Amino acid sequence: MTAPELPRRPPAVGVRGLTLLLLLVAGALSYEGLGLTAAGLWPNEGGLAVAREFFGRALTPAWTSEARFVPPGTPPLLLDALGAAGRTVLYAAAAMSLALVIGVVLGFLASSSWWTLGERRGIGRTVTGALWFVARAVIAAMRSIHELLWAVLLLAAMGLSDLAALVAIALPYGGTLAKIFSELIDEAPRDAGEALRGAGAPALSVFTFALVPRAAPDMIAYTFYRFECALRSSAVLGFFGFPTLGLELRQSFRSTNYGEVWTYLYVLIALVIVFDWWSGRLRRRLVTT
Amino acid sequence: MTGASFGLEGVSVRFDAFPALSDVDLRIDAGEAVALVGPSGSGKTTLLRLLNGTVRPSAGAVRVDGERLDEVSRRRLRDIRSRLGFVPQDLALVPNLRVVQNVLSGRLGRWSFLGAARALLAPPRALVREVHALLDRVGVAEKLYQRTDRLSGGQRQRVAVARALFQEPSGLLADEPVSSVDPARARDTVRLLTELSSERRITLVMSLHNLELARAAFPRLVGLRRGRVVFDAPSDDVPAGAFEALYDLTTEELLGDGA
Repeated sequence: MTAPELPRRPPAVGVRGLTLLLLLVAGALSYEGLGLTAAGLWPNEGGLAVAREFFGRALTPAWTSEARFVPPGTPPLLLDALGAAGRTVLYAAAAMSLALVIGVVLGFLASSSWWTLGERRGIGRTVTGALWFVARAVIAAMRSIHELLWAVLLLAAMGLSDLAALVAIALPYGGTLAKIFSELIDEAPRDAGEALRGAGAPALSVFTFALVPRAAPDMIAYTFYRFECALRSSAVLGFFGFPTLGLELRQSFRSTNYGEVWTYLYVLIALVIVFDWWSGRLRRRLVTT
Repeated sequence: MTGASFGLEGVSVRFDAFPALSDVDLRIDAGEAVALVGPSGSGKTTLLRLLNGTVRPSAGAVRVDGERLDEVSRRRLRDIRSRLGFVPQDLALVPNLRVVQNVLSGRLGRWSFLGAARALLAPPRALVREVHALLDRVGVAEKLYQRTDRLSGGQRQRVAVARALFQEPSGLLADEPVSSVDPARARDTVRLLTELSSERRITLVMSLHNLELARAAFPRLVGLRRGRVVFDAPSDDVPAGAFEALYDLTTEELLGDGA
């Protein structure tokens, strides 16, 4: 009796392995393409002096204004920084609430679950398929433009209005939330949804009450993470003149008041840490009750 | 309220090239309690899912209360389904919702979207009372407001049964609902389902692995093997040898089933 023939061994490096390898090679080649050399890492004398001066103040941030002339009636530096931090949160919160609405609506339309659940055929299927495609395309467009680029565009169109800052953040963030929401919903276990479908429940109800709840903890966690990103974006939008931490940073940096720059940076870091701590607590309470 | 009746006429189901069911004829009358027995891959789940139209036959006709499922409108199919409770093998509850919400969701088929939203988020007292009474009947009344994933396997089974009952079904389809708990728990749940079936005149079709349990709890047994009905008889008339023949698969057949 002879043993059955050995099945063919799978290749050691498959298509996926090969793709990864090619990506690594492409990464290495891009250095070549940019003409980067190790020597270029070393800054020149002037740059080095600025860097030394700037980082030298890291441990001694300013407690009071470093400006040579302080107009009367100016609030003390720390109060000023806290005010800017507050406005940074305000812009981020307003932008996120708008982004959340965009994310939920587009995320729903872009998930493949809701229209496969419907078991539609013929014209109904064509319509839902088209909606899905349009939602995907809109999301891609919103996401592919960075919030700073949106800000440039919206500033040109609307001027320095708060609404411009808000929309500039809300558009790319809404798109990102929609993409992640739709993926989380599509990846959530579908057993309960299919059981309720078998019990005659309409697609929209199944989607909302069986699929979304299963994805909800991850959706909440991701939304909080995006809120943290929105805090940074809101701060950076200050560079365009919106009254967030970025505006203060830019002004202090321009006047080479590096102590003040560090004060604002530490306030921003503290803001993110406090938010992280608070959102973690809130998330645990939301997810486990 | 009378129970649902089911009919399969020359039904075959193929998944790609694999024949899950071949030329099955079966009549289940209103109010009957029938157990489907057979090894894994014999077509029990497929047969159950044909009965509520979540699997479509490749050939033949499936009738519920005389209506051919492939000829009714989508709307009518949903109405039919809303009267058929289904307890799947994995129970298919939403783990991070409360027990009350899982049971309430059994009636999604009869509520509009807004009605469902109201019922699930802020259920009126009358509905909660109804759910509580059902939970009491299946023995887990005190779990009303618990998160479902905090419950034991046996308790979750009872919640899944309560959800199906909350539909006020005329037919109850249960797909090996007791395969994940110990024998005592399994017997209790099967007894509960057969009791409920006779007390509320609900037609019950359940697939089971446990042959003694099937014989003890059900008046009629349908034996399936490789997608065909091997026997269909009152429990007392099924000879012991028939069961063994059902499960005694040759190596060749096992490989065929595993495909």
